[in-house]
Amino acid sequence: MPTSIIRTYYESLAEGRLVGRTCAACGAITFPPTSLCEKCGSPDQSEVELSGQGELLFVSHGMAPPPNPRFNDLAPYAYGHVRLAEGVFVQGIVTDVGVEPEALAAMYEKCPVPVKADIITVADLPVLAFALA
Amino acid sequence: MVSGLKEPVFILGVGCTRFGNMLETPELKGLSLQEMAGQAVAEAFADAKVDPSEVDAVIVGNVTMQTSNLPATYSQIAKWTGTQLKAGVHIDGACSTTNIGVTLGAMGIASGVYRKVLVVGLESTLSQPKRLSPYERESIPTEEMWLWTDYCVGQAYSVPQGYDIFPTYNGFVAQAYCKKYGYSIEEYDKGMFELCRTRRLHGSMNPKAILQETLEDEATRYGFSDPYEFWTSAYNPFLAWPSRLRSVVSAADGASAVVLSSEDGIPADAPMPVQVKGWGVTVSDLPWYGEDPTYTHYDRISFDKAYAMSGIAPTDIDYLHVHDCSHASSICVAEMSGYLPEGKGLLLARDGALRFDGSRPMSTHGGRHAFGHAWAASAGSDTYEAVKQIRGLGGPRQIPTPPHTAVVHTHGYAMVSTVMVYEGR
Repeated sequence: MPTSIIRTYYESLAEGRLVGRTCAACGAITFPPTSLCEKCGSPDQSEVELSGQGELLFVSHGMAPPPNPRFNDLAPYAYGHVRLAEGVFVQGIVTDVGVEPEALAAMYEKCPVPVKADIITVADLPVLAFALA
Repeated sequence: MVSGLKEPVFILGVGCTRFGNMLETPELKGLSLQEMAGQAVAEAFADAKVDPSEVDAVIVGNVTMQTSNLPATYSQIAKWTGTQLKAGVHIDGACSTTNIGVTLGAMGIASGVYRKVLVVGLESTLSQPKRLSPYERESIPTEEMWLWTDYCVGQAYSVPQGYDIFPTYNGFVAQAYCKKYGYSIEEYDKGMFELCRTRRLHGSMNPKAILQETLEDEATRYGFSDPYEFWTSAYNPFLAWPSRLRSVVSAADGASAVVLSSEDGIPADAPMPVQVKGWGVTVSDLPWYGEDPTYTHYDRISFDKAYAMSGIAPTDIDYLHVHDCSHASSICVAEMSGYLPEGKGLLLARDGALRFDGSRPMSTHGGRHAFGHAWAASAGSDTYEAVKQIRGLGGPRQIPTPPHTAVVHTHGYAMVSTVMVYEGR
């Protein structure tokens, strides 16, 4: 039985691990993982665990009600653009920043600021969010 | 990569419905998607002076099948437009769909396989068929439309983890632009206000636009004598700080059509054919940028490919439309095109230079905010406007000196960065 990359990613996330893949051909990290290296298409990849540490570059807020009903109870929420320590860019919910214009304006002045992974569970799915470090 | 058309290809005719709401807008109320497509195609054939029997292939695009229930658009729309028994295909390039259809049709013609091709885009983003009725429709909540639209992006990881287009495409880009070029948030807000005024001015001069009320008139309707006070009021909230409600897309229903031809297929009495000089198409999924949200690499590649294929330089552009679901992103892309100087787009918008009668006319149909956005049909509406401007048929919003070279950029969700270069013959 084949192993689903997507299922494995979420199962790892539920265990508190951020698992991506490193490409043997070009060295790029694909996170979250894909079948072939997202940079060069090589199938020669090995598992790599990311630290969850990074920098929040920008933070704004999203819709309420949200487009995905999974987040009905959470929206509106702050949403950030993050550079992980490994150089990978990801975007995700920022759990401890408010969505009021004043709060976001204050964060705009402060950013970039350190953040760490804050894995939350939303409608039974582990979700990679971030919190200020 | 080999690029370039072996034979010239021309747009002979264009058609477009009014963009609006099939449940409310007078020109669309009560129509079906088939009938909207029929309207756009009839206008395009009449404009081209081409008989449907002359068409060799029909390319029909639609993105949100939940609202159309028309997965086999090629056969069904062919029946409604008198173009059955031709080659046909359904395509989906999201919000670039119609112009992707133009590239496919142009390649079919330049290869010698086809002589004339019909491209159609149709979309409803505001309603869906009511139960199993063939003609009754019911409105859909905005969030449900976005849920379906978001099927175009990052379904494995991004969407299930809280992705939202508004901060990604608006808020982060606006913040990055301000930090990169030293603008205050207040200066940004003022620039966006003026850009919206320009788009709404264009919409007010376009009988096919979804929003035909100027921003000033809307402010007055809400009881504000100062339109900027209205802009900063609770009636124009932050949708993704610091981007506001009136700096983004107005979802719409609509249809558009384009008739393409080889040079030897141009009728003697055809109105000014417009040449498809070249294009660049580049795809990418989330995240759309790295360190700098104002820089989208796929757009850089698309512009470079389009300019190389067409043999033009940015200084040759007389008219530009860039995808402006997000007015913040549109400024960045317009600067990347070379039409606006880097870091100065906000100032040019503030000063009115992007108006139809300004020094850098853009999006004279009103853009995605004022003209509206009907996903698969929108790129065709952009091509429609470019063709009309090149022909000098822009009506009250005609660019004083009709453009010779027009560039149309669209972001298909996401991303299908598509840059088209059109030239008057």
